[in-house]
Amino acid sequence: MPIPPQAPAGALLSIFGAPGVSALRALVDTLIPPDDYPGGWDCGVGDYLERGFTAQLAPHVPLYLACLAALDAEARGHEDRSFAELGLPERTRLLQLLEKDGGAAEWPIAPVRFIRIAAEHAAEGFYADPANGGNKNEISWKMIGFEVVG
Amino acid sequence: MKHYDVVIVGAGAGGGIAAGVLANAGKSVLLLERGRPLSFEDVGRDHLRSMRFSRYGVNAGPDLDGVPRVFVEQDGATRIVGPLDGGYHNLAACVGSGTRVYGGQAWRFMPQDFRMASIYGTPAGSSLADWPITYDDLAPFYERVEWEVGVSADCARMSHLPEYHRQYPMEPLPMTRRANRFEQAAQGLNWRTTRVPLLINSKPYGGKPACIHCQHCVGYACPVDAKNGTQSTVIPRAIASGRCTLVTGAMTEKINVDASGRASGVTFHDRDGVRQEVGADVVVAAGGAIETARLLLNSASSREPLGLGNANGQVGRSLQGHYYAGCVGLFEDDIWDGVGPGACIGTCEFNHGNDGIIGGGLLADDFIATPISAWNGMLPPDLPRWGLEAKQWMRKNYRRVADIRGPVHEIPSPECRVTVDTGVRDRFGIPAAKLSGFAHEETVRTANFMDARAREWLLAAGAVDVWGGGHGRYLSGGQHQAGTCRMGDDPHTSVVDASCRVHGHDNVYLADGSVHVTNGGFNPVLTIMALAWRTAEGIAAAW
Repeated sequence: MPIPPQAPAGALLSIFGAPGVSALRALVDTLIPPDDYPGGWDCGVGDYLERGFTAQLAPHVPLYLACLAALDAEARGHEDRSFAELGLPERTRLLQLLEKDGGAAEWPIAPVRFIRIAAEHAAEGFYADPANGGNKNEISWKMIGFEVVG
Repeated sequence: MKHYDVVIVGAGAGGGIAAGVLANAGKSVLLLERGRPLSFEDVGRDHLRSMRFSRYGVNAGPDLDGVPRVFVEQDGATRIVGPLDGGYHNLAACVGSGTRVYGGQAWRFMPQDFRMASIYGTPAGSSLADWPITYDDLAPFYERVEWEVGVSADCARMSHLPEYHRQYPMEPLPMTRRANRFEQAAQGLNWRTTRVPLLINSKPYGGKPACIHCQHCVGYACPVDAKNGTQSTVIPRAIASGRCTLVTGAMTEKINVDASGRASGVTFHDRDGVRQEVGADVVVAAGGAIETARLLLNSASSREPLGLGNANGQVGRSLQGHYYAGCVGLFEDDIWDGVGPGACIGTCEFNHGNDGIIGGGLLADDFIATPISAWNGMLPPDLPRWGLEAKQWMRKNYRRVADIRGPVHEIPSPECRVTVDTGVRDRFGIPAAKLSGFAHEETVRTANFMDARAREWLLAAGAVDVWGGGHGRYLSGGQHQAGTCRMGDDPHTSVVDASCRVHGHDNVYLADGSVHVTNGGFNPVLTIMALAWRTAEGIAAAW
């Protein structure tokens, strides 16, 4: 299912603009896709990134800006649609292809490295403690059976 | 200038013990700590900023800015590093230091650990040596720490050690599901096992409650204060005596000595950045192996221009820590039952007596890994790091993975060093520590041998897949840092004597892992505490 266009308020929108936020959301939900548990974005990864990009992840903002643009360019090159307009299988295939052959667009670092960095950040927003802004309602902990006592 | 009987630099495992013993012996003590006291809320439960997973900060210090070190790569290139960089080899900076957030594994070293060179010889390129003291010298002090600080364990299971004179004060913490599985598997392999001794209360003890078996032990502060660090035991008792003054936010710049080499006190920078000098009859340095070496090197005088106690160039050498051997196993069912703290069962079958191997190490199950730590360190190497497969693997297997790990007895190298770089200074203008060298090849061989034993144990316990292990050569000196100011009878090959007094200095002592000649195949904190106890009693008895 394609990611519907959405206009979140706040830092992400001012950093990335609406198309950039759509691409970011599509990326997060490709890295941590929905199954019978929600995808990464609905589990709070977007909230984690929103907070992180104005704090500990601020140094990564230029990288994300350039790489999300490159991701859109790659998508248009393949499908004539933006990355966010692709369905999950197409987005997954595109990322796998970029990991393998490096892509045709202009990337500031090899796409495989960017995907690895973004996957780490997504995992932080998904699996770390909710006080960091992500892991909404401890949903990933419920999913894997991490039950906190005390 | 204020004057104290004793100034102690560093309120960690060793400094805290020394403060307690000396204050109770009637001495006036000034305990200087560069960090600050941390409440449970201060330490917090931030999974991205713990001592176990320091991605964006460290919950027990130090601050990230103004405390640089220099790290020398294997090709000789240097870079300036901060506490989040692995090359920094960080140790907590707070009252209690690492004992504020440790898991508290309370192992005694084995008698053989004090006689490594006699048993194994000295491999080329190594600085392997015997300690100037034996297990028997330290055993009474191990016992004191076990009772005064508080350890839960079962001495009947310590079959790798000489007979104890006194049982532990508390029974071990309960067995977990996976520990039962590992114990049975070890029986099948004909390996003896032992319960992991822990500085954690299994029943109310020392005025503090019992463990509630939560999931945030190592890397975090205890929510009910069942964990026994120096900050919650000996330091408060020292202060309660009325004879110990704890000053936090105090970074010590140098130990001051007179022309005869006798220490007159220390110079430190207080929390407001004001440079202060205090006088003392005795100075005890206990900043950890890296910071203690740095302090001695920065305490150069006209008598010893290369640093206090460094006339023979020994200060800073043989920095060692622990390689961690081990593997991760995947099981068909939930092997983790959620009962903390997790470290429960160990074997000392391979600490010594391994054919063709120098030393060996302990293997044990590990503390509970937070989900992000498991994601970061326990996934199979061929699993994609993103996509449905990664998500569903975590969902299916987080409770089905377990690791067997343990510290490997390192073969020290004189080229693993702490020096100071006068071109790089901390926020107070004090020259930074510079870390260089990489482990002796025999350490790597031992680690690989121990990986194979971990694999064997996991498979015997029913693991359907095992991964991990494999070691390169690197500098090892993080949370278990030791060496740099080793004990010995010969001033040409050591920095302190058998009483942990710096050669050539009547009244300067060290009370941390820096004095360890070798670092055992065990978590070293109980040895640091026991040795500090012995050193402090020695100081008090002689004066």
